[in-house]
Amino acid sequence: MKLFEVENLSYKLGDFKLDNINFRVNQGEYFVLLGQSGSGKTLLLESIAGFNSVEGKINFEGKDISKLSPEYRNVGFVYQDFALFPNLNVRENIMFSAKYKHIENPEETLHDLADFLGLVPLLKREIENLSGGERQRVAIARALFSKPKILLLDEPLSAIDPTFRNSIMKFLKDIHRKYNLTTIHVTHNFREASYLADRIAIVMNGQIKQIGAATDVLNNPANIEVAKFLGFKNILPSSMINDTKERLFSVDPNAIHVGKYKIDCDYVFGGTLEECMGIVDHYKIFVNVNGEQFFAKILKRDYQGCYADRGENIYIGFNKEDVCYL
Amino acid sequence: MKNWFLYSLIVLASVVLLFLSVPLLNMIFGSDLMMLLDTLKQKDVVGSIYLTMKVSLWAMIFVLITGLPLAYIIARYNFFGRSFVEALIDIPIMIPHTAAGIALLMIFGRGSISNFFDSIGITFVDTEMGIMIAMMFLSSTFLINGAKEGFKKVDVKLEKVARTLGANPMQVFLRISIPNARKDIINGALMMWGRGLGEFGAVIMLAYHPMVAPVLIYDRFTTYGLKHSAPVAAIMIIISIFIFLSVRFVNNRLK
Repeated sequence: MKLFEVENLSYKLGDFKLDNINFRVNQGEYFVLLGQSGSGKTLLLESIAGFNSVEGKINFEGKDISKLSPEYRNVGFVYQDFALFPNLNVRENIMFSAKYKHIENPEETLHDLADFLGLVPLLKREIENLSGGERQRVAIARALFSKPKILLLDEPLSAIDPTFRNSIMKFLKDIHRKYNLTTIHVTHNFREASYLADRIAIVMNGQIKQIGAATDVLNNPANIEVAKFLGFKNILPSSMINDTKERLFSVDPNAIHVGKYKIDCDYVFGGTLEECMGIVDHYKIFVNVNGEQFFAKILKRDYQGCYADRGENIYIGFNKEDVCYL
Repeated sequence: MKNWFLYSLIVLASVVLLFLSVPLLNMIFGSDLMMLLDTLKQKDVVGSIYLTMKVSLWAMIFVLITGLPLAYIIARYNFFGRSFVEALIDIPIMIPHTAAGIALLMIFGRGSISNFFDSIGITFVDTEMGIMIAMMFLSSTFLINGAKEGFKKVDVKLEKVARTLGANPMQVFLRISIPNARKDIINGALMMWGRGLGEFGAVIMLAYHPMVAPVLIYDRFTTYGLKHSAPVAAIMIIISIFIFLSVRFVNNRLK
């Protein structure tokens, strides 16, 4: 069921422009806006929250809310640096909205949230005495306490210690399920998106370049720009693999086989070894085939060594099912 | 002698520190205690000190109500003429106080604006109201600039998040912006109040009477000489320092 829809949204800020943005978010969906920094994704999120007066429509349950002030939009917002109020303690931060909105059973809501988010022992603490992870949980609790119809997360993982990222990602998914939320999450990290998202929109230079189910977007990038951003390697002309159409293909470096002698694959090429770098658990191997460079990754547990010295001939190959056409 | 640089800094710094502190310390500790107590019994002295503090406080409150919005506008919005407005706020610091007094007298002592205030029962020449505007004109800069810096330090995102949590812009201003800029606002207000206490040049142009403490000190000095003005000066200095330090102390204790 469609909950939320952005139609032809445009907004100009100095030289930058959000340009004719269209997307919809379904009830209960985890929607990720994925883009590099400076692509306009945070600006888009702030526009949804009502901080910018934009052109176009933002429909929420069928009504256009694009002219409403932020306080009437029923959105919860969690910033990258959490933006907790330093003049209030944890409890006062979480319950901030109770003064301005009607919240049913505020005490019960507080305790339920504090319990689930592990904040019970922190309720009386001052904000300055919290760790990064604690701050994030308070910011999420504060947003959820106001019972928003849609939760907006701006790079929620980038201020978190990398060792905790995986557990926080799981935690975000748990919250989403438990509170039956509709979430729009902004990030530059496609791994984050691949784990969390039901659907993904790729944002580049203020435009949405591709939108769809997470697996579709991540596996079938619409163009070379999106493919490069999503970490696709070996983007090469498809004429190399006898394709009649004039297009590009990509092959995962992990799917490329390497050998000193001819190997058994659907496509096999002989080339010159340009570089072989041993890194922790794998080798990065760069092979020049008729002026095009292939990059392959070989796990050290599969093979020890580089197959050949720099400048020597080497064979690489891969199978049809590993080719992705762009 | 590898610390010669640090030593030379300390020596030079001591010169200015001594220059600043010796006259004040001499005034406080060099005064005859009996003389001070005697002076404190004089009604005109006590009345004048009370008047000075009270009127400077009014001036400060007036600028809190009008200057905080101004400071907030400057801190938050980029508008045409902003630097002009900022310069306008700074100017009173640079002009001679007596000149400012004359300027105020021309507007509030005669002419249509003065007549308008007259018609609603407010006069400025030789009244507390006159003292207040003189103090305000020369010291509001401190409060407005202090508050401006304070508001600039409050992350806009705090205000934005508060809006999504249901607060309207006025509620955000009162519950988030002001409390989080509180330290700078209080410091600025204190500076303004303290400057108001010492205002002489402009006050004397508008209102020689009722006498604020600086005018009283000057009046006694010219009429009776040093002996009779020094104790009043000492009392004024002691009270000012005491209040200044205690508000600073309390403010630093605030989170």
